[in-house]
Amino acid sequence: MTKPVQAINRYKADLRDMFFLLFEQFKLGELLGKGPFEAWGEEEVRTSVTEGYRFVREVLGPLNVVGDIEGCKIENGRVITPTGFKDAWEKLFAAGWKTMSISPEFGGAGSPFSVQIMLEELMSGANAAFNMYPGLAYGAAEVVAHFGTPEQKKIYVERMFGGKWGGTMCLTEPHAGSDVGSAKTSARKNVDGSYSIKGTKIYISGGDHDLAENVVHLVLARVDGAPAGTKGLTLFIVPRLRHDENGVLGKVNDVAVTALEHKMGINGSATCVLTFGDNDDCIGYPVGGDAKVNQGMPQMFVMMNAARISVGVQGLSVASAAYLNALEYAKERKQGASMTHWKDPTAPRVPIIEHADVRRMLLDMKGKVEGIRALALKLTHHQDQVTFYKGTDDAKAAYNQGQVDLLVPLMKAYGSDQGFRVCETAIQTYGGAGYTRDYPVEQYCRDAKIFSIYEGTNHIQSMDLVGRKLGQAGGANFQAYMGDVQKFVAANSEHATLGAEVKRLGTAAEALSGSAMRLLMWFQSGNVSMVPLSANRFLEMMSELTVGWLLLEQAVIAETALKSVDPQHPDTAFYQGKVQSAIFFARNTLPGVAFKAELLAMEDKSPADISDAAFATV
Amino acid sequence: MKILVPLKRVADPDNANKVKVNAGKLVTTGLEWKPNPFDEYAVETALRLTENGTATKTRQGEVVVVTFGPKDSETTLRAMLGTGADRAIRVDTGDDQIDGDVVARALKALVEKEKPDLVLCGKQAVDGDSGQVGQQLAEYLGWPQATFAGSIESEGDKALLVGREVDGGTIKLRVELPAVVSVDLRIVAPKSVKSVHTPATHAYPEGVRFAALMAIMAAKKKPLAEVKLADLTSDAAPKIQYLDYELPPARKAGVKVKDVTELVTRLKTEAKVV
Repeated sequence: MTKPVQAINRYKADLRDMFFLLFEQFKLGELLGKGPFEAWGEEEVRTSVTEGYRFVREVLGPLNVVGDIEGCKIENGRVITPTGFKDAWEKLFAAGWKTMSISPEFGGAGSPFSVQIMLEELMSGANAAFNMYPGLAYGAAEVVAHFGTPEQKKIYVERMFGGKWGGTMCLTEPHAGSDVGSAKTSARKNVDGSYSIKGTKIYISGGDHDLAENVVHLVLARVDGAPAGTKGLTLFIVPRLRHDENGVLGKVNDVAVTALEHKMGINGSATCVLTFGDNDDCIGYPVGGDAKVNQGMPQMFVMMNAARISVGVQGLSVASAAYLNALEYAKERKQGASMTHWKDPTAPRVPIIEHADVRRMLLDMKGKVEGIRALALKLTHHQDQVTFYKGTDDAKAAYNQGQVDLLVPLMKAYGSDQGFRVCETAIQTYGGAGYTRDYPVEQYCRDAKIFSIYEGTNHIQSMDLVGRKLGQAGGANFQAYMGDVQKFVAANSEHATLGAEVKRLGTAAEALSGSAMRLLMWFQSGNVSMVPLSANRFLEMMSELTVGWLLLEQAVIAETALKSVDPQHPDTAFYQGKVQSAIFFARNTLPGVAFKAELLAMEDKSPADISDAAFATV
Repeated sequence: MKILVPLKRVADPDNANKVKVNAGKLVTTGLEWKPNPFDEYAVETALRLTENGTATKTRQGEVVVVTFGPKDSETTLRAMLGTGADRAIRVDTGDDQIDGDVVARALKALVEKEKPDLVLCGKQAVDGDSGQVGQQLAEYLGWPQATFAGSIESEGDKALLVGREVDGGTIKLRVELPAVVSVDLRIVAPKSVKSVHTPATHAYPEGVRFAALMAIMAAKKKPLAEVKLADLTSDAAPKIQYLDYELPPARKAGVKVKDVTELVTRLKTEAKVV
């Protein structure tokens, strides 16, 4: 190590946009103070987001660059996290930002999920690598909370939600990544009812760390004699330290960290190779007991929605931080003269935000960031309505659940793909300075790349969308979605200032409908090989339609608000910005949806037709 | 110990460049409000004096926060209830109808009603920078005062040993309670406040504590009373009239001098400083 890294916060967030989404676009107020959200009012939501923002800027943000440069290391068989991470972990759980939307039954505050997601954006944006550790603990705890036996729930759930114990998800093996069904890790039942686990898992985020007193691994393994493929997988609870029935910690279980990956980004997050049972002394228990043997995949699937939403939000969070930093830089950095004086070498130098192409990049980033944030809120607001209406209006709850299921692959894939691209555009906005470590955007870009890969690659998301979600509930969820878009188009296509842009949305919606029909036809006519070749494109089209729709909905709200807002008030600029980014997106991205539909209709099979040898003869 | 902390909200200093003046008045529309930082330090100090720093869930005494302002200033009070204060009082006024003297006289009446052992305030607010309320209040009450406290040591909650920050160092003053103490920045250093309830070895995190989510949720249930200004002081006429506001002039560009000789000449003839 050379000199210690200077811990300074570079993170900033747009709380005004968050409050706009929560209260003006999605009207969270209608759900607050009642039913499951009885304890929550608008003031609690605003104070939480504001105080959470202060927390992440003071505690998590300064450690972002520290984690990037220091990374993690293994000492005496244990992972050592970067300087300051342990202190931040303790402060985070004392403050309670990770337990917001968790049921009070498990020590949480029962907030709407949409509010938790805004806090997730703040935590992840301030320090994506750090936020992996509590994020994994949260995900693992949710699995046990859903499927565990009463005894398992009592031991693990509150400890893991509350940060006393950490958690991991151990799926991937050296030969089994996306092809999870080929996992070889084995489990053999012992006479005392426990199972002996043996195998190697790789790419395990937070696979070991020094932040909590114990780490609880959820390990996919195959019980001896179980069927091959995904149907024979069982999810096991494997604590690093064994414990008694009261959670008092005892001897070390036979789980070893054998290596850390050296990665492109999120260097503060320990990505581990874990070996289970090298000394034949690794004990685990099936989540939910023996009755749930071979139920590992269905258990995982139930939890995947939440995890995939979180990854999409990671893309959003880092993109937003990159955009706001680039914007700040563009306002300060002087370079070149204004276009009107470009030939005059003595003309005053202007901030680069005055240059047309910089403005184009900024507006492009603004539309994407705010559009993806709107998608995150649309999705989580549907989730909140599921919680709100379940048991009182089951039809409404079912409709909302259908929309959640449909939008999850969009959130994960579009949020992470475009999140990375926004980071790249942010570097371009800075110019050479953005490529250096003097500014935060190069780290954002490196950190963001993993989001399109883990938690199911984005191609897997697109196959989930076209293969499962489009036809889910007999196609009713997709039809309801198209109905919602068309309702908006019908209501606003004659809008005085936005009508032309809303019509573009209508055209894009028709194109998407046509492409969905074509996909269905491919499935029915045996032309199935076209599906994986077009799935990514379809997901992108549907995401662009959704984001365009939500941005235009914002613009309509903003146009109305502008009629009554005081011109001196900063909201005037805020609402004008909403209108402009919707127009930009409608003119520069939405027309591409119909174009992509044409491409899809070409049924191009060249990637399938080219021989392996023809790719390159080297 | 019962401690009363007067608190003022100020326009967010981070957004100070948005301050606008219109017809001799400050335009407050759309300003984001924050608690005055020195008042936040006073609240933090009050919390430290009334707790065991190693187990902060229970309070050994009471912390009451007071502000003067319209209904929406209650957000600032709720935030303080979220960090641990027990009770809040809002004295209903408009933002521009009062000055430090009115506030001090109203606080005097409130102190006589509430009977705290200590009034802890920030040394000044970062908007007007008047820095008068604490001193005037002590005078009106006839209580001892110690200003600009950078450290406080409670002596059995009967007296305080206050380290006052002055030019060139610190002066230690012992004040018998009840008293008025105003605090400076260094009061929120890890070991600046020593109470009888906290082990002497305990070090606090630097700065003002975070409001935990559960405390924010619990703050809604804590009492927040509204009091009319007229019920506290019959003379609510401000003595200070604000005639006009103007933004500071923009900085002019500098000039480059050829050499030292020119610099010295200009310092002599133009700036007249040598």
